[in-house]
Amino acid sequence: MNNSFSHVNIKLALAFILTSLLGLVASQFILFWNSEWLIHGYFRIPSLWMAFHLLILGFAVMVVMGAMYQMIPVVLLTPIWNERFGFYQYIITISGILILSIQLGLKPSIAFYGGAITIIGILMFLFQMYLTIKAQKQKNRITGLVVGALTFLFLTIIAGFLLAWNIGNGEILRHESIFSSHLLFGLTGWFTLLIIGFSYKLVPMFSLAHGFSMRWIKKAYFIYLLGMFFLILSFWMNDSTLSQIGWLLLWIGFTLFLLDIREMLAKRLRRQLDRSFRFALMAIYFGSVIHFLAFIVSLMKANAVIWGVLIYLYIMTWIIFSILGYLKKIVPVLWWTLKYDKKIGKEQVPALKDLINEKNDIIIYCSFLIGIVGTVIAFLTENILLMQVFQGLLFVSIVLYGITIIQILRK
Amino acid sequence: MSIKDKVEAALYEVIDPELNINIMDLGLVYDISVESKNVSIRMTLTTPGCPLHATIVTGVKTAIEKVNEVENVEVDLVWTPAWSPANMSDYARVQLMHR
Repeated sequence: MNNSFSHVNIKLALAFILTSLLGLVASQFILFWNSEWLIHGYFRIPSLWMAFHLLILGFAVMVVMGAMYQMIPVVLLTPIWNERFGFYQYIITISGILILSIQLGLKPSIAFYGGAITIIGILMFLFQMYLTIKAQKQKNRITGLVVGALTFLFLTIIAGFLLAWNIGNGEILRHESIFSSHLLFGLTGWFTLLIIGFSYKLVPMFSLAHGFSMRWIKKAYFIYLLGMFFLILSFWMNDSTLSQIGWLLLWIGFTLFLLDIREMLAKRLRRQLDRSFRFALMAIYFGSVIHFLAFIVSLMKANAVIWGVLIYLYIMTWIIFSILGYLKKIVPVLWWTLKYDKKIGKEQVPALKDLINEKNDIIIYCSFLIGIVGTVIAFLTENILLMQVFQGLLFVSIVLYGITIIQILRK
Repeated sequence: MSIKDKVEAALYEVIDPELNINIMDLGLVYDISVESKNVSIRMTLTTPGCPLHATIVTGVKTAIEKVNEVENVEVDLVWTPAWSPANMSDYARVQLMHR
């Protein structure tokens, strides 16, 4: 058999992904419980720190790690360096995130310790990925995107570590600049570049697109990185012009990526796309709109409230929606492989579609959208009742989403 | 019925779980060669890096091993030439229009 055949440890990927759903549910519950603080714009309070870290680290980072343990061997045609090490990394990372989140919620001054364990877990993941990618025989364009994203993950944790140090031991570097850099490295560098990289692989795969060019990929990547560079400069030099150039470049880079995706979809063979996949595609459009809005807002010298709303929309409608959309495609593949891998060719096995009940997906995805729009309106109008209703709706729809994932595992 | 015919018939039973269409109609099998009781398959997938590639290759081996006259099966998964929609049968084309 050809040596491009790469083994995937399904249990390792599933462990990360299923645990991450608990982080998502917990974060939304804490946000719902603290609606009053959200309304008044007090984002930097212990309970909200806990919620944000459960959302970003507990859900988004964990789920992406799980997806990478599944995707890297097949996308790069290279097996994971050491799966046992992967399980140790899982235990250390989840312990670190739990301890960090609880410490941030109860006693932020000692969050340094939880942060240190989390950092060890993430460094173990980076080490694992480094040795895996190093073993890849023929590097390709996706390798470049993955390496870039992993580099930004490393920079994010360095900035996060400095933030935790600042909180615990007094300021050693300008806190606001580190905080902005931490957000930029994490949200645009790690998540966005990774989602872009995987979308170049997943969109043609799930839509069965052929004959597309991917002609903008290099320019999109370069311009996006250049935009990030300008933004980092603007954070440390307090220069609004640099910030405007940075946001413009990010929007252009993202738009070029969108153009490639549109071409893939135009050249697809599958006419009927799954609802979850369409949701992930919709997130790309949201991402484009938010990048554009960020550029416009940078021209207007808007206040922190507007930037807070944009960051929230960026996280929820671009990053989280992308992940939630792709996850409903990835989990059935993992579960199907775990359960039916040995049966294919021997007996009748169900199709992937038989594992997924799409009936309620439209309601759940619409609830996400209504919940997000509603919380933003509630925040801008400072209406606490609206905030409780819409944050409650978000929490309920996340729980329902989790139930649909569990239903897949029962088939 | 020759061994090759039996192998071909067995491959119609191997379904791509994502598309729910068998691999023969999808045009994934490039070559079937039979020497005595040894069967070699040269095949591809619709896209490199498909998360189900290990499963499909295992399915091919298992399905062929069920043919009584076959003793050994070799599956060579290749990416060149790349799969093209032109490889598909009319049946697969019609199925895809509704999926």
